[in-house]
Amino acid sequence: MQSCDQIRDRLLDFTDGELGVDDRCEVEAHLSRCPACSRAARALGETVARVRTLPVPPVSDGLLDGFAAAVQRRIANERRPRVSLWRRATAWLDDFPGLRPVPALSAAAVLGLLLAIGLAHISRPPQPSPVTEVSLVGESISIAQNLDLLEQFDLLEDMDLLEQLPILRAPGADTSLRLS
Amino acid sequence: MCRTAGLRERVVSQPDFEVIRRVLDGETAAFELLVRRYQQTIFRLAQRMTRNAEDARDLAQEAFVQAFRSLAGFHGQSNFSTWLYRIAVNLCLNHLKATRREDPADVDGNVADIRQDSLTTLLTAERDKALAAAIEELPPQQRVTLTLRAYQGLSHREIAQVLECAEGTAKANYFHAIRALQRKLEAFRDIDESG
Repeated sequence: MQSCDQIRDRLLDFTDGELGVDDRCEVEAHLSRCPACSRAARALGETVARVRTLPVPPVSDGLLDGFAAAVQRRIANERRPRVSLWRRATAWLDDFPGLRPVPALSAAAVLGLLLAIGLAHISRPPQPSPVTEVSLVGESISIAQNLDLLEQFDLLEDMDLLEQLPILRAPGADTSLRLS
Repeated sequence: MCRTAGLRERVVSQPDFEVIRRVLDGETAAFELLVRRYQQTIFRLAQRMTRNAEDARDLAQEAFVQAFRSLAGFHGQSNFSTWLYRIAVNLCLNHLKATRREDPADVDGNVADIRQDSLTTLLTAERDKALAAAIEELPPQQRVTLTLRAYQGLSHREIAQVLECAEGTAKANYFHAIRALQRKLEAFRDIDESG
């Protein structure tokens, strides 16, 4: 049997209908034989009822007219929300019922996949670039369509210095530089 | 006409997560469905918190805009409505902090229509006014908890999710809020009983 203090600690749950059947019956039995707790329960019930029925300040007519349209106008200027690649990948893995209960495994699988791709890329021997001819005489530069080499294009800016080298200036020397 | 009605019914009954997926797939206009679905709920929450309709409307709009901005970060671990509540509650709390009123009892003149010259009506109006003022005086977390529980009908568990706290904390906040309001109302109960 519970004391009055224990019962009063549960009166709010009782008033809110949060108690299970057994607990509710126990509280009701106590209230039926304890006038003080019964009064407390009634007062608490009145308070909750008054709070719940407290009128909300009136809203002027038309206050919410165009509410949704106004939000749409504002978000029209926003960047479109984008889901990250990681989330898309994990969401894709979640589509497999077997993997769904183990999100850590899903994450590890994606991580492993990305790691494998990265390692394969790193361990690949550098591919020889296509032959690129740079003609110093005609001042025309012919570059094969090779992005790797384009990234090194700033090297070509130093060609003026190379031109000053004696070997390139010697009569009869081949003035075409072959890069690979 | 029937076709239009059918389409509308299908769109309205589309679950939140499907609408969210459409928005994330680039159909920004679909976000309006979510706005229309929750605008009253969020507005009422903000109105209960601020007790000012214009402020509530602005805060509710801001909540939806923020929700749109962060939509990609919504992981679906809770209901969309819970997540939206969290955004709105934070905005309301920040608003209350920024516009803390000196005398909350004086700001609410619309609690009840007191044109009738009966003592009961007058007493009810005064009691409601005192109650509204007492709610405004509650600590912010208690006030939010009370609003979500008493006016939005959320369970303690849902409130805990919105406020990102333990369920026991949500329950305790609600308990303390009700007890504080009960003490405020006791004076009126004495008047009721003597009348």
